[in-house]
Amino acid sequence: MTTGYNIQKMDAKIKEIRKAAEELQELGGDIEAVNKNLVRLLASTKMLELNISDAISLV
Amino acid sequence: MTKNGSIYWNPVMETMPREKLRELQVKKFRRIFTWAYENSPFYRKLYRDAGMEPGDIKTYEDIKKVPRTDKGMLRDVQSRPPFPYGDMLAVPLRQVTEFRQTSGTTGTPVYQADTWQDWEWWAECWAYILYAQGYRDTDRMFIPFGYNIFVAFWACHYGAEKLGCEVVPGGVLDTEARIMKMQELKCNSFGATPTYVLGMADTARKIGIDPRSIGIQRITCAGEPGASIPTTKKRIEDAWGAKVYDHIGATEIGAWSYSCTFQKGLHVNEAFFLVEIADIDTGEIIDTPGKNGKMVITALDRMAKPCIRFDSKDVIRWADYECDCGRTFRSIDGGIVGRTDDITKVKGVLLAPTAIEEVVRSITELGNEYEVVVSKKGDIDEILLKIEIMPGLEKKEPDILKRLKDQLRVKTNLGYKMEIHPYESLPRYALKAKRFKDLREH
Repeated sequence: MTTGYNIQKMDAKIKEIRKAAEELQELGGDIEAVNKNLVRLLASTKMLELNISDAISLV
Repeated sequence: MTKNGSIYWNPVMETMPREKLRELQVKKFRRIFTWAYENSPFYRKLYRDAGMEPGDIKTYEDIKKVPRTDKGMLRDVQSRPPFPYGDMLAVPLRQVTEFRQTSGTTGTPVYQADTWQDWEWWAECWAYILYAQGYRDTDRMFIPFGYNIFVAFWACHYGAEKLGCEVVPGGVLDTEARIMKMQELKCNSFGATPTYVLGMADTARKIGIDPRSIGIQRITCAGEPGASIPTTKKRIEDAWGAKVYDHIGATEIGAWSYSCTFQKGLHVNEAFFLVEIADIDTGEIIDTPGKNGKMVITALDRMAKPCIRFDSKDVIRWADYECDCGRTFRSIDGGIVGRTDDITKVKGVLLAPTAIEEVVRSITELGNEYEVVVSKKGDIDEILLKIEIMPGLEKKEPDILKRLKDQLRVKTNLGYKMEIHPYESLPRYALKAKRFKDLREH
């Protein structure tokens, strides 16, 4: 059922999202509008990791 | 709609070969164990006292050596800082965005903390459930739930939104108003406890609306075992002309199990939870299908207040069949078949309240509600079953009582005293029903 999905490529993109969000966190400094929205973005990123990245060594 | 019309929310996880799933669970167990050990004073002490540390978790067999937790422990930690959660908390208090508490059915309520990530995770668990039950972004789902301190259908709401459903919050509306709103908006689905779903059908008829005419296609039940009790499920499906699906979850655990559109047992979301079944007497982990045991569960990704090897007291059994949906997630048969703390001995016989419900709901001349009171007369246990007969069928009382007594005898091996109450006079419940009362001194 997982045929046709490039898990490795998806995982790489998820890592890029996390990296970008963390870099943005650094740049945002004390701007709460940035920080608090990033909390939500990172929580969604975590769900992508649980759904895709966790399977990386298994499929 | 999805691009490919898949029946899976996430085929990567839901169709993963079983041996790989087990590998995934061990990997994730090690991760949550390490997280709890490093961040939660409660868990660190628990594991240190047992002589365990993160490096000890290498195989599935190692997991069985990890100390279990239970509700008593969750209550105890609440007397310690930080208020109000106690030292099980594994994140700074400022990261907590959600407060919920258990209903307190079995004692002092447990306070549950979640971060925003945990809340996303709750919604994700529900997305697995609802997608498997056929919900899509074309659905308009009504939530007839008094949004409050109980998690109940909060996470269902967020999970449905995640799928793209149009969610209508029923909030503080009363039952009549909820039914009329569902009718007005042409909602095609809703979620509630089985008790409330049946009560809504009664109310709808009372205000002149045939529940079957509203257009409800699917109903997701939670909070009580009813939707996995065939006779109760049938009553609900007949009343609404809809498919009824079950889901099992708990405030301190998460939303861990669900029936799919094939309606064959309940899948355990094994990508997010590790469910073990322990022999009720020996505590040994049993893998054999068909044998009842108590559930020991780990939420593999819940961070603020980790739930690791939690003895929930729920009695479940592995199914001895496979679902035709193609999910590799293992199924449990019959939902929660009881609780170790409510399966009680009466006259020396083990009695599970769900067995009584199955019989009562199988007799169509009886109303939906009933109540069981166990008491002691001298040295002898006595069970009183309070029932309602449907209006207009009172003349059939002797026949109804005979069938009821016979079936109860067959199903539970016990005799009952019967008490007939006027239709709709027994208590109705919006959330968890309390139909079983044990008045004996223990």
